[in-house]
Amino acid sequence: MAIEYKKNQALFVDVVSVDEAETFLDWLQNKPNAKIDLSRCNHLHPANLQVLLASKVAIAVWPKDANLKAWLETVLQPA
Amino acid sequence: MNPLLEQFLSESREFLQGIAEKLMQLEDTPDDSHLLVELFRLVHTLKGNSGLFEFPEMTRVLHAGEDLMDAVRDGRVAFSQQLADQLLDAMDFVSALCDQIEDGGKIEAELTVDSYRLSESLRALMASQQKQAEVNDQIEKITQVSAEAVKLDLSKLPEPVRIEAYKRTMAGESFYWLIYSPIETCFFQGEDPFFTARQTPETLWGQITARESWPKLSDLDAYRCVLDYEILTSASHVELLEQYRYVPDQIQLIPVDRWSFVIPQGDPNGGAVYEDFVIDALQYLDAGDLDSLRPVAESMLQLSNPDLWLSSALRWLLLLIDTVPPNHQAITILIESLRSLNAPDWSLLKANTNELEQKSTVTTEPSIPEQSPSEPEQINTTFIDSKELSEEDALALETIFAAQLQILQIDDQASWQFGRVKAAAGVLLNCCKAIGDEKAIASIEVAIEKSLSSESSAPLLAWLKARQQTTPAVKPAESTVVSAELPLGLVSLEEQATSPEPEQITPEIISPELVSAEELPKFSRRPDDMASAKSLKVDQSKIDRLMNLIGEIVVSKNALPYLAQRAEEQFGVRELSREIKAQYAVINRIAEEMQDAIMQVRMMPVSFVFQRFPRLVRDISRKLGKEVHLVLEGEETEADKNIIESLADPLIHIVRNSLDHGLELPEVRRAAGKPATGTLTIKANQEGDQVIIEINDDGKGIDPEVIKRKAYEKNIIDEATLERITDREAVNLIFAAGFSTAEVVSDLSGRGVGMDVVRTAVEKVNGTIQLESEVGLGTKIRISLPLSMAVTKVMIIESDNQVFGLPMDHVVEIVRIPVSELISIKQSKTTVFRGKIVALKTLNSLLGLPTEPLVNSDNEVAVLIARIGNEVMGLIVDDFHETIDVIQKPLTGVLAGLGAYSGSALMGDGSVLMILNVRGIL
Repeated sequence: MAIEYKKNQALFVDVVSVDEAETFLDWLQNKPNAKIDLSRCNHLHPANLQVLLASKVAIAVWPKDANLKAWLETVLQPA
Repeated sequence: MNPLLEQFLSESREFLQGIAEKLMQLEDTPDDSHLLVELFRLVHTLKGNSGLFEFPEMTRVLHAGEDLMDAVRDGRVAFSQQLADQLLDAMDFVSALCDQIEDGGKIEAELTVDSYRLSESLRALMASQQKQAEVNDQIEKITQVSAEAVKLDLSKLPEPVRIEAYKRTMAGESFYWLIYSPIETCFFQGEDPFFTARQTPETLWGQITARESWPKLSDLDAYRCVLDYEILTSASHVELLEQYRYVPDQIQLIPVDRWSFVIPQGDPNGGAVYEDFVIDALQYLDAGDLDSLRPVAESMLQLSNPDLWLSSALRWLLLLIDTVPPNHQAITILIESLRSLNAPDWSLLKANTNELEQKSTVTTEPSIPEQSPSEPEQINTTFIDSKELSEEDALALETIFAAQLQILQIDDQASWQFGRVKAAAGVLLNCCKAIGDEKAIASIEVAIEKSLSSESSAPLLAWLKARQQTTPAVKPAESTVVSAELPLGLVSLEEQATSPEPEQITPEIISPELVSAEELPKFSRRPDDMASAKSLKVDQSKIDRLMNLIGEIVVSKNALPYLAQRAEEQFGVRELSREIKAQYAVINRIAEEMQDAIMQVRMMPVSFVFQRFPRLVRDISRKLGKEVHLVLEGEETEADKNIIESLADPLIHIVRNSLDHGLELPEVRRAAGKPATGTLTIKANQEGDQVIIEINDDGKGIDPEVIKRKAYEKNIIDEATLERITDREAVNLIFAAGFSTAEVVSDLSGRGVGMDVVRTAVEKVNGTIQLESEVGLGTKIRISLPLSMAVTKVMIIESDNQVFGLPMDHVVEIVRIPVSELISIKQSKTTVFRGKIVALKTLNSLLGLPTEPLVNSDNEVAVLIARIGNEVMGLIVDDFHETIDVIQKPLTGVLAGLGAYSGSALMGDGSVLMILNVRGIL
C-alpha cells in the first residue's frame, strides 16, 4: 500500500516509496486543490516529500507517527 | 549466519580470485579490451552483491574500483602496474572484510576510514592530477569540522529543545550538529536520505531544509534530491560515522558548545526598556545574592507576555541561576543582553571559562539544590552524607528523580530509548554524586550497566522504584517541565507518568534496530531483479553423503550375481537366475551411471589450484628480482575434488622451488645465452584415468653430482649407491626425506622439509611424482594422479585359498607362464617376458604364507605383471578372478599399521576383501 487516490484527496499509507513520486506529481498537477491525508503514513521517501513541498498542497491530516510528524512539521506548513 | 550471506561470502572469494587473475593477465596484455571488460564485470558484480548487505565499507571500495575499471575500460586511464597494485590491495582489503564478516558477522566501524582512504586513493588514480593532499583534506572533512570553522546558529531550534540540550550538556553529554546534504542523484542509487536521517541515533531534534526555492510543479524533477537534513544529536562520533557510513562525504559534524543553546528569542516589544531590572539584577549578582535575584526574575517573567524576547531571556536566566555552580559571568552577559535586546555574546565568556567557573564555585551558596555534575568532587566535600540535605534540597532531588522516572517510562519512540536511558542515567548518577550517596552510586551503576547492555530502561526503572519506596514520598512537583514541550513526539508525558506498572512497558521496549526495521520497512528490491541460477552451490558434506550412498548401492548390487548363482545352484531355478541376472544388468547400468554422475559433480577443474599461481609467481618473482613468464595449460582438466585439493600444497611448493632454485636472475640468464625472462610452464592433461601435471622451468636445472654429494653427506645414500646411481635416479633423490640443497634458509625454501613432503602428499592420493632435469636447460616435474579416488577398480586374485584385491592401476597384464620358462638367479626367480627380464615374486612368500603357488594342468603359473612407479614386476599367484569396483575403506585401529594392505572393501556377498598395497609388499 502506498498512496490511495480519492476524488480530491491523496491518502498516504504505511511507507510511500520512491516509485510513487512520479504518479503523485502527475496527479497533483491536475488537482490544484487537493488535500493530503498523512494520518496512516509511517514514512515517505523524500522524493514524495519534495513533491509535497513544491506543490504547497494542504496537509489535511498529519501523520499519527509522532516522529514523522515532528520531522515534517519542520518543513511542511500546516494547512 | 544466514544462507544468503554465506553464499555471498563464498561467491565473493571466487570473484576476488577472478579479479586478481584478470589483473595479472592484464599486466601482460594491458591492451586486451576483452579482459578489461571481463574485469570490470567481475568488480561490478561483486560490488552489486555487496550492496545487498549492510557492508558499505566493502561497497565503497568496490565502487571506487569499479569506477576506476570503467575509466580504464573507456581508455580514460591507462592500465599500469601501480594501478594493478592498488587494485590488488583493495581486493585484499575486501578479502579481509570477508574474513571479518565470516568471523563476526559484521565489519568493525574503525575500518570505515580505511575503506574511505582506499577508495579515495583508487579514485585519485583516476584523476592523477588530483593531488594526494586533496584526498587527505577530504578525509579530514569527514572526520571532523572544527567548531570555530562554522558558526552555528541554533536559534531555529525551539526553546524547550535548547533548554533540554543545555541541561544535558550540564549533565556531561556532548552534542553534535549534523548536517547531511545528500548528493542530488542519490535517489537513483536507491538511497532514502530521509530514512537515514530519521534513523540517526540519539536524535534530540531534526529538521529538513530545501536547498533552493521550489519551481512550478510542471518543472519539478521529483527525483533530484534537494533536501538537506540538520540534526542535533548526542550520539558519539563513532556512532554517527557508523550511521552515515555509506555517505561519510555527505555529512558535516560540528561539535556544539553548550552556550550555543542559550539564545533568548521572541518579540522585542518596542525595544529595550528594562534598564531598571538590569541594574537591580546586576546589583544582586555582584552581591552574590542569587536567592534575591531569582524571585525578582520570576516575578518579572510572570508579568511579561511569554512570547516576548524578555521572557525568553528570563527563562534562560532562571535556568542559569539554578545551574550549579552558577556561572556569574554567564549570568552577567545574559542580563547585559537585556539592555540591548541583542543576543548574548558568549564569545566573551569562552575566553576565560575555566577561570570563571572556578571562581564561581567559591561563591556557591550551599542552599542551592545540588544537581550539577560539573564539579562533583568539590560538592562531595561539602555534602558528605545525604542525610544532611535540607528539606528544600530533598524536595528538589525527589523532583529530579521523579522526572527521570517519567522519562524512562516514555516508550513512544523506541529508537530514542537508548539515548534517554543514557541521559537519565547521567542525571541520576550526578545527583547521587552531588549528595555524596556512595551506596546509591554503586547500585545505580549496576542498574545503568544493565540498562545499557539490554537497551531497556527496566533495570533503571526498577532502581528508581525501589528508591522511591525507601525514601519518604514527596509529591513530584511540576516534573514534566523537563521535557513537556519537547518536539518529535516526546509529548505524552502525563499519560505515561500515570501508567502504574513500568513492567507493562518494558516488554515493548525492543532494541532500536528491531523496532525501526519493523516500523519503517526498507524498500525491497524489485522482484524482477532475480536472476535464475544456472549453477547450484551445494555443501560438500551433502555430496559426500550421496557418494557414500551410491557406494552402498554399488556394493549391494554386487550381491545380485551371488543371488542368481544361489538360485541356480541351490534351488535349481535357472529361469529365475536368468531373470535376476537381467535385472542385475539394468541396476548395474543405472548404478554405474549414477556413480559417474556423482563423480562428475565432484570433479573440479585444476584451474582451482592453478588460479593462485599467477599471483604467487608475480609476488615471488618480484621479491627475488627475477623475470618470470608463467604459462598455464590445460586448466580445464578435471579431477576429483579431493585430488585437486591435495594437489594445491605440493604444487605451490614445487613452483616456489622452481622460482627460487631453478630460474636464474636475468643477468645470469643473459650470460648463459638464454632470454632474460624465464618461463615456467604448468601443464595439466588427462591420460586414461590419470591426470598428469607437468611443471617445467627453463632454469639452471639440477646438477646430479651436487645432489649425490649432498645425499651422501646427509646419509641418505651409502657409498656403494653413490657410485652406482644414475643421474636420473640422483635427481630424484631430492624427494628423499630430510633433503635440502639450499645453503641458506630463506623464507621461500631451504628448510629441508621440501620435496619429501611433496612426494608424500602425492602418494597419499595414489599419485606418483618424477623429476627430470638437465643442467643448464631446466627441470621437469611430472605428477600423475588418479582421476578419482572414491571408487577403486580392483582385480581379485587368489592365493593359498584366500582372495585379495589388487588395484587395477598397478596391473599391466595377467599371463600364464610355463614353469619351464622360470629362471632362477640366486634366490630370485625371473622370466623373460616380451623380450624383457621381469623379476618374479610369489605372493605367498611376500605375505609369509608357507605354501607354494599352484600350478595348473598345463604346468603354468599365474603371473600378474604389476607396475610400481617405473618398474615392472611379476607377481605369482594361484588364480585370477574378475575385476570389481569397490569403495575402499582405510584400515583402522591395529590394522592401520599393516603396510601390506592399503584398505579393505565389502564384496557383494558380504565378505571382506583385503586390498593389497603393491608398493608395500614389493
